[in-house]
Amino acid sequence: MLRRHFLALAGTTALASTLPLRAFAAATDPRDVLHTWYRLVLELVRHTATYSPPVASRAFAYLAIANYEAFASGGGMQSLAGQVNGLTPVPAREPGAYDDALLLHAVMSDSVATFFANTGPTGQRAIGSMTEKLGAKLSAGVDPDVAARSAAYGKAVAKHIEAWSLTDGGADVQNMGFPMTWTLTEGPAHWVPTSKIVQQQAPLLPDWGKVRPFAMPAGDACGLPPPPEYSEDPASEFYLQAKEVYDTSKTLTDEQKAIARFWSDDPMLSPTPPGHWESITLQVLQRDNIDLAQSLDALVRVSIAVADGFIACWVTKFQYDLVRPVTYIKRVIDKSWEPLLITPPFPEYPSGHSSQSGAAAGVLTAIFGENFAFEDATHIDDGIAARSFPSFMAAAEEAAISRLYGGIHFRAAIERGLDQGLCVAGHVNALKTLG
Amino acid sequence: MRIPALMLLAALPATARADAPAPLVPSFAEETATAGITSVYGGDWEYMVGGGAATLDCNADRRPDLILAGGSNPAALYVNDSTRGGALAFHAVQSGLEQTAVLGAYAIDVDSDGISDVVLLRSGENVVMRGLGDCKFERANEAWGFDGGDAWSAAAAATWEKGQSWPTIAIGNYIDRTQDMFPWGSCTDNWLHRSDGQKFAPPLALKPSYCALSMLFTDWNRSGTPSLRIANDREYYKGGTEQMWHVDPGQPPALYTEKEGWKRLRIWGMGIASYDLNFDGYPEYFITSMADNKLQSLAEVPKDGAAAKASYADQAFARHAIAQRPYTGDDLRPSTAWHTQFEDVNNDGFTDLFIAKGNVDVMPDFAAHDPNNLLLQRADGSFEEAGDRAGVASGKTARGAALADFNGDGLVDLVVVNRRETAQIWRNTTTGSGNWLTLQLHQPAPNTDAIGSWIEVKVGDQVQRQEVTIGGGHAGGILGPRHFGIGPATKAEVRVIWPDGTAGDWAEVAANGFFDLSPGQAPAAVTP
Repeated sequence: MLRRHFLALAGTTALASTLPLRAFAAATDPRDVLHTWYRLVLELVRHTATYSPPVASRAFAYLAIANYEAFASGGGMQSLAGQVNGLTPVPAREPGAYDDALLLHAVMSDSVATFFANTGPTGQRAIGSMTEKLGAKLSAGVDPDVAARSAAYGKAVAKHIEAWSLTDGGADVQNMGFPMTWTLTEGPAHWVPTSKIVQQQAPLLPDWGKVRPFAMPAGDACGLPPPPEYSEDPASEFYLQAKEVYDTSKTLTDEQKAIARFWSDDPMLSPTPPGHWESITLQVLQRDNIDLAQSLDALVRVSIAVADGFIACWVTKFQYDLVRPVTYIKRVIDKSWEPLLITPPFPEYPSGHSSQSGAAAGVLTAIFGENFAFEDATHIDDGIAARSFPSFMAAAEEAAISRLYGGIHFRAAIERGLDQGLCVAGHVNALKTLG
Repeated sequence: MRIPALMLLAALPATARADAPAPLVPSFAEETATAGITSVYGGDWEYMVGGGAATLDCNADRRPDLILAGGSNPAALYVNDSTRGGALAFHAVQSGLEQTAVLGAYAIDVDSDGISDVVLLRSGENVVMRGLGDCKFERANEAWGFDGGDAWSAAAAATWEKGQSWPTIAIGNYIDRTQDMFPWGSCTDNWLHRSDGQKFAPPLALKPSYCALSMLFTDWNRSGTPSLRIANDREYYKGGTEQMWHVDPGQPPALYTEKEGWKRLRIWGMGIASYDLNFDGYPEYFITSMADNKLQSLAEVPKDGAAAKASYADQAFARHAIAQRPYTGDDLRPSTAWHTQFEDVNNDGFTDLFIAKGNVDVMPDFAAHDPNNLLLQRADGSFEEAGDRAGVASGKTARGAALADFNGDGLVDLVVVNRRETAQIWRNTTTGSGNWLTLQLHQPAPNTDAIGSWIEVKVGDQVQRQEVTIGGGHAGGILGPRHFGIGPATKAEVRVIWPDGTAGDWAEVAANGFFDLSPGQAPAAVTP
């Protein structure tokens, strides 16, 4: 069983968490601050309506970069300024001692408030409460000058990152990311709405591919060849891939259903696909008691990977604007067919979960190694059992094939999505961070 | 050719016909300033839900009186002084209901003494208040064995289980309000207060519970035994879904399963309204949520006496009943829907749908100016928005509401509870409306209001059916006479399927009248 450790605060459910907790010897271990805040962040992603997977991935990236830069300025870690697009150096530290836990708390307090400004009253209350209560706990016994210096610097870094984020083209998300008007592309090969939800008559975030990437030189740096040519000919590759989805749906095993649901990661009902990989990373960091610098490095790499993964994916999705399996299968094979999962409201090719899972697995493999086994209990609170994987790539491949089991993607979208993710990972792995 | 998606939207509904006659748009006059209603649903986080309105006749004058939840302010009982057809007029009385932390209220004659009692839903201990007559109430938790617990309660429903002379009350509980940083996943247990002779047994926890915001005992399959539908708020549950429980006499409650047809549906369930919209004998359910709402109809109507499968198809999109975003003003962010109720506001014989709207508090992803909806049903079963044309498109932050004929003119009026602002009340002033009937059920104790009955009104070949329930809506509901519009008909046949399953005889009644209906007796005309 994985072990999670969070700071125990009066009035929180930390001690009542489903997973067992481990008390740290030092209450002010900054890693506890990190994990406590990330626990809240994963909830906020789930409970803030704007946070579709691309939007969530962007927030994860900025949060992680803010944390990373706040500590990189203290030495021993290379700044990402000049490495990721548009980031200028954060303010230099004032001379004097810093308390790492308070510094991290200050960065997270302000950054979470910024990047989750859209969250509702419960989320706002939680952010405020954590800011206040955790801040009070961490400040106890710390020299007031050190505490003030740490808090001020954390706020300065958060402000710097916020200002940078406002120039990426992804800060303003209206109507939960759905355009108020939309014109469908002519022809049976192209996406049409698949739900009866009014907002979803237009696709989610059609311009997300224009958002400034972090590590990729441009959004189209990891483009893909076109999907199999659309055809309704039973001998065609397109038909055969659709038939595979259809046939698979008719013979799903319990294990395949479990896999589909484990990686479903629906917005507003889960921490979303990028949050799932954040969760995996956090679990690994806790399980192996990874030190703070390496933790910040892993989080920033994974976060950039999933963010760039979505940007790359969205470029390709709207380049080809491909029809979803549910539309094609109902039209050509079986008009009564329904997939196991809810079809997401945007074009099919490639699979977003595959792209960003490939990207995340690519960077985690670079950090932790090829055959790094782990257990993933992301959805344990939802009653979904943990799953074990022999490697990060095995997890990414399962995430990818889950979309076929779920009936929402063709095979080409998942296989090439993984390829796209690995391309993104290559750009992220080129960043210089530790050492 | 490139096809504008929004044009496709307009063309999609299968049931809407272009040649369907437009329904009469009713007129409502707001009389908040003169009607004597000053109640404000106040308070912060613990009162982001709730704010219910309930009707009852607390002084036996046949005029609906009003209970309005106050949140951090005291709840209020308003006695109805309206004259028939006149302006709406109420005055607040000291009744014993003036308690704080009240989120909602439902009236119910618990002890079957012919005097309505009240269940107060609270942040804290729920309280059952015994009606003493003349609009006075006293606490009865101890006398009736009612364990009010200590939770955040915003939903309730009641039924009389077969063979019992005391009601069963379900209470829906929300999140653990002590959790300020991690309230998600902290849904507390709902309770089932079953009878133990002439009092309540200790409450039974309904596990799992998923942050209920509306409950309704309803005989969805016309089996004669109502089940408990629960609308749950997905914002706070983990692993949850909308629920329906078997509550069979003498048996522990049991959830409907996938095997029985029940499908997982995860929405921000906030309110329930039911009505047999398509005249097939089975109720449809409107479930309020955030953004798109749901209008559910049995996926497959059973034939030849077969048992119904508990599967529902969503018809909101096809029937134009989604009410997804504001329809007036410039704020086009998605809506937040709370109380909902079917009533025929223009008396054309096709029940209409009211939805109270209002942002949770300051949720930037959702509309701040979120006018209430009044969806008029067309003859083809589709709906059209008329809230603005009817004059009820208030953009205040609404929660609970009640539609009832407060001034006895045969037109359904409206009261809406607003968060942090004064409640609003409108008089239905429609001219040229159809004819109507107001029917009040009575039966000997127990269950004097005949909860669980079905009232049927037949005009020509068309039979309207209303199930008489306690529950649903958001944090409040109506107890008292039931209203039917019958269009141009000057008479109608009525009958009641009583809670014991006995079908009364059809009896003809003249339009535009008030009638008492009792088992084995002819309808009795009454004057309010």
